[in-house]
Amino acid sequence: MGRLKQKGKAGAAKAYVTRSSAVKKLQCSLADFRRLCILKGIFPREPRHKKRANKGSTAPTSFYYAKDIAYLAHEPVLNKLREHKAFAKKISRALGRGEWSTAKNLEENKPIYRLDHIVKERYPSFIDAVRDIDDALCMIFLFASLPSNPRVSPALIENCTRLAAEWQLYVMHTRSLRKVFLSIKGVYYQAEVMDQIVTWLVPYQFPQNIPSDVDVRVMLTFLELYQTLLGFVFFKLYTDAGLVYPPPLDSGKDESGAGVGAFNLRPANPNTTTRGQKSDAPKVSSKEVRQTIRKITAESSSAPPADVDFNQIDSFAEGAEEEFVPQASKSDFDVTSSLPTLLSLSSLPKSSSTNIFAPYTFWLSRESSRSIFEFLVRSFGGRIGWPVSSGGGSSFTEDDESITHVIIDRPVAKAPEETIQERERRRRRKHVQPQWVVDCINAGKILLEDLYAQGKTLPPHLSPFGERDGAYDPTVGLADVGNTLVDDAEVSEDGQEEDVEMGSELEEGATSMAPLAVATVDDPEALRAAELAAEAAGIDYGAFEKEVQKKQKQQKQKQDTVADGEGEDDMNKMLMSKRKRQLYERMKYGERKRATEHTKLEEKRINIEKDRRRKARTA
Amino acid sequence: MQSEEEDEDEERESDILSDDGEVDDFPEIDAASDSDEESEEEEDDTDDLDEEDTLEEDSDADSDLHIFPKSKVVVSDITGQKKTVYPEIEPDYDSDSSTEEDPSRTGNIPMHWYDDLPHIGYDINGKRVLRPAKGDELDKFLATVDDPTSWTTAFDKNTQMDKPLSAEELDIIRRLQAGENPDAEYDPYEPTIEWFTGKGKEEVMPISSAPEPKRRWLPSKWEKQKIMKIVRAIRQGRIVGSKPTAADKKHQFYAIWNEPPSNQPPPLPAPKPKLPTNSESYNPPEEYLPTEEERKQWENTEPEDRERDYLPQKYSALRLVPAFDKFIKQRFNRQLDLYLAPRIQRIKLNVDPNSLLPKLPSPGSLRPFPNYKSLKFTHTKARVRCLSISPDGAWVASGDESGVISLWEVNVGREVKRWTLGSKVGAIEWCPRLDVCFFVAGTEEKLHFLMPPNLSPTVLTMTQSTLAPATLPPATQSSIKWISSSGAVEEGPILVIELPGASGLPRQLTWHRKGDYLASVSSSETQGGVWMHQISRRHSQAPFTKIKGAVQMVLFHPTKPHFFVATQRYVRLYNLAEQKLLKTLMPGIQWISSMDIHPSGDHVIVGGYDRKLCWFDLELSEKPYKVLRYHTRAIRSLHFHPTYPLFASSSDDGSIQIFHARVYSDLMTDPLIVPLKILRGHDVKDGLGVLQVKWVNKQPWLVSSGADGNALVWCS
Repeated sequence: MGRLKQKGKAGAAKAYVTRSSAVKKLQCSLADFRRLCILKGIFPREPRHKKRANKGSTAPTSFYYAKDIAYLAHEPVLNKLREHKAFAKKISRALGRGEWSTAKNLEENKPIYRLDHIVKERYPSFIDAVRDIDDALCMIFLFASLPSNPRVSPALIENCTRLAAEWQLYVMHTRSLRKVFLSIKGVYYQAEVMDQIVTWLVPYQFPQNIPSDVDVRVMLTFLELYQTLLGFVFFKLYTDAGLVYPPPLDSGKDESGAGVGAFNLRPANPNTTTRGQKSDAPKVSSKEVRQTIRKITAESSSAPPADVDFNQIDSFAEGAEEEFVPQASKSDFDVTSSLPTLLSLSSLPKSSSTNIFAPYTFWLSRESSRSIFEFLVRSFGGRIGWPVSSGGGSSFTEDDESITHVIIDRPVAKAPEETIQERERRRRRKHVQPQWVVDCINAGKILLEDLYAQGKTLPPHLSPFGERDGAYDPTVGLADVGNTLVDDAEVSEDGQEEDVEMGSELEEGATSMAPLAVATVDDPEALRAAELAAEAAGIDYGAFEKEVQKKQKQQKQKQDTVADGEGEDDMNKMLMSKRKRQLYERMKYGERKRATEHTKLEEKRINIEKDRRRKARTA
Repeated sequence: MQSEEEDEDEERESDILSDDGEVDDFPEIDAASDSDEESEEEEDDTDDLDEEDTLEEDSDADSDLHIFPKSKVVVSDITGQKKTVYPEIEPDYDSDSSTEEDPSRTGNIPMHWYDDLPHIGYDINGKRVLRPAKGDELDKFLATVDDPTSWTTAFDKNTQMDKPLSAEELDIIRRLQAGENPDAEYDPYEPTIEWFTGKGKEEVMPISSAPEPKRRWLPSKWEKQKIMKIVRAIRQGRIVGSKPTAADKKHQFYAIWNEPPSNQPPPLPAPKPKLPTNSESYNPPEEYLPTEEERKQWENTEPEDRERDYLPQKYSALRLVPAFDKFIKQRFNRQLDLYLAPRIQRIKLNVDPNSLLPKLPSPGSLRPFPNYKSLKFTHTKARVRCLSISPDGAWVASGDESGVISLWEVNVGREVKRWTLGSKVGAIEWCPRLDVCFFVAGTEEKLHFLMPPNLSPTVLTMTQSTLAPATLPPATQSSIKWISSSGAVEEGPILVIELPGASGLPRQLTWHRKGDYLASVSSSETQGGVWMHQISRRHSQAPFTKIKGAVQMVLFHPTKPHFFVATQRYVRLYNLAEQKLLKTLMPGIQWISSMDIHPSGDHVIVGGYDRKLCWFDLELSEKPYKVLRYHTRAIRSLHFHPTYPLFASSSDDGSIQIFHARVYSDLMTDPLIVPLKILRGHDVKDGLGVLQVKWVNKQPWLVSSGADGNALVWCS
């Protein structure tokens, strides 16, 4: 027999600590603990046995991994926070005594913490960082749109605006925007950066105030981390794209409200770029590569020439680009022949949809948000201009001949006296509503402008992100719903109108009656109505009766089998273990809920469609 | 150092100040005094000097005295300039003011000594000096009215009368009232006269002749040490000069990811929020818009319980879309989720829920089993507590709580005979022997042996000889009496066993398969609830002298000399031949209600009032092989079909559950249990449902009795 085990010395009791004990251990205030947790990305855990983790108590607490807390205890930021606490005491004393010079001195030597190491820790590789910038972007865009107040300094907002503009510039430059969705919350954008899907939400441009039930401190702490993270991510993105970071700001343009256009994207100094790239990749000169290729071809070795990094070839072959000629290996023919080369990859119809607006020039009327549509159009290769009232920086004016589309969100007004020139211009240009731009982007092609013309009722705007599998799809269901509607109308409403046809095709009429009979065998009133309808259709009563009986029988059988099947399922359930049964029941519950949601939407749609038809008929 | 410097500075300043005006005055004054002195010298030297001194003293020290020596300004004969001439003071005793002639004759005494006396003192001759006459108030008033100068008089204590004030005195009073300096001559703003500073007035001789200390001219050692400390700190970089603040504030970003990442795995990324669906669109298809009820329901639910955090809305144009009012709140909630919510990595199950169901043969392939109600036999008075079916499967005997036992046919439900026993019937059991035909019914403290009517003669004689033999076996020592009724066998019981008093209603009766032994379980909690009765010897005995727990049921093993005893929590298996405990089964049921054994003898099912049914494989373990809980109320009875692989359970929820239970002869295959059918037909009355179920021998038929007073036959 081994040593007796003492309670609370191993297992969950050691692995978890409660929040209050963590705060005590770190010797900091709760606010500082929260700040640290936010910065370091440490979150509470749910122990499997709460009672064991809490040493027998069942009081509701949040638990952290003891190792996480030990890790926090070695955090340099924690020390800085302690220094800051001392600093706050000193400066408040100096201010209280009126020692202004001391206070100024202290203020100058205020402890400042850097978050570089935290960024590196939390995101060891660049891809990790890019994968996780969704929330950061949302916050940056939100704060860029907020008014400043005593809690939120103008400098912070300015920095957020700058970061937001930098991101938009990058996305526009690399043409990486994929999907856009105009929702009631704001505009969702989705971009593909470094093969990662990044989605962010930008609120509509309205002044918002921070509600009182929101803790600004928490938001600002997050923002602190996000600013640092985005700074590093953008630096890497810009330098990888061969651009200077930060992009220099044209203050004159900025003053005039040019927004994103105030920044100049400047290619980095070629010397520095090559140096930067060389530090990343092993040094291979183009000459060497060419030589090795030649060697390979000469030897016609059986080894597949896949070892050579084609990206490097491309990046270093400044001169005439050589197409890599695959040499069929003797042992393995199909492998080599199917090897993709960079040229073939780039010549693929990569995504022509990233350039859909390239042939067009847009004019943005003043009621549409410039920040949204400038970004959208420029991300897809289009040119866009706007009136001065929307801010400066427009590259052309309204009477430019090259304008092909006008994005306009106004109802059609009574045409004022317009000159021939203006009328001519109006005729030449296409006036579309803003949704057209977004729908084109999501469809990946230019849609017909007629549906979106000025003043028209817009077609519904659907989410490009799709719904989960098996959910109600408003586009697919259309045909089915239409059919049932048609049937319905024929049978119940238009029976008399189509008398002649029905009379000529008795049998068909009878068969078409059948579903109705089936549907209505249960309630006598409906049955009577069906009978009347049948009479009107000229079917004799005996045939109708027979049909109904047959259908009734069939339906009963079906119901029986269904009931049997259900009962069986239920009975089989009793042989499952409790855990499995609960899982099964949960899944079934979810299924049922989704199904009811689906049917509810479909029903609503049918009703709406019916109403519309009725209205159309009466009108 | 500093203070010294300051001193020097002050001196310099004062030098500069004195340079501009004051110095120029002196020559004038000097000249005047010189000329004065000169003129005085001419008249008489010594006197003049004295006079000058006194003058000086008068003017400087006592301004009061200034009034008395009245000076005259005369023009000097010699110089021709104006000069003030003072009256000569005789340097004698009288010159002192104290020796001036005092008008008061009483001397300088405090006058209040004589306040209440008619005189005011004594004169130099010792005569009383009478108080001068003093006018009354009216006189005073008249005096003020008559004399215009009366307001300038003051009361003189020494003379005890009013004295007019001089102009100077009035002036002093006025000045005091105005808060000014009483001295009219005093000039608060008169220029300073520099006596010792300024050019030419420096002191040449030092005040002290002590030698100058070293500290005045040697640099301080301590100061040097302090400075060196700072210098060293600066050199070592411990003290840094003020940083370039502007450059520091700007984040200097650099290629942080250029170094290869550490090999430790990155922390788990936070789950991303769900992507928006069609209903969030500013212009969704109309079917997504909520109806009025849905809107109301959404508004009435708590924000935490809402399925969506927004209500779908439709706007006809993008320009009409307002700001989303909960935007910041939702971002904040997301952040709370990020740092306050515990995260668990869960593998998402992507399975068809139906695949979780156990694969079982369909009930259709396991026919026959009872699936419909074919007959209903009603006891009018009370709930049917028990029933039993004859071994040939033709007859059913059912007993109710009013003491009525009915014998009826399984096939048609016709009642053949009815016995009325007078008290509640707790249990009925047919004798399993085929050569005899009788059944036992248990009522309060009695067991009645009853014979059905219309028996074939051979069976009748055999039964009679078994139950009431002509020659009784030798009587045995027992507390239980066996009473054979000799008379009307057709009407009443042929044999009655009287159980000991206070043993209560027999809860259960069970026969050994050979039909010689009968075990009864009484409901009393006291000892001796279990009795074993041997028909051939007409002998009863209690197999257990002492047993732990209240016995619920007993059963004979179908093949072996084993005996099952179910107490409240456990099932014990005894070997009757060896008289020892073989096994204790632990079903984990709080209160066992029923138990049955499979005809093969290797499997036992145990049902409990807590709705559980346990299947035991006796070869396998003392723990149940399977625990099922499917009834919604307590299980009342269980029965295995003697020949078909079926068993049934009945419950207080009014339902009967039929199972297919196939047992394999090889030990490797687990028994197959398939639920087949739920039979509903009994009503629940007073919380009691189906009280007993029994299978018909050789047929897949089931007979059930319920608390609603019905006995039902279920056929396949």
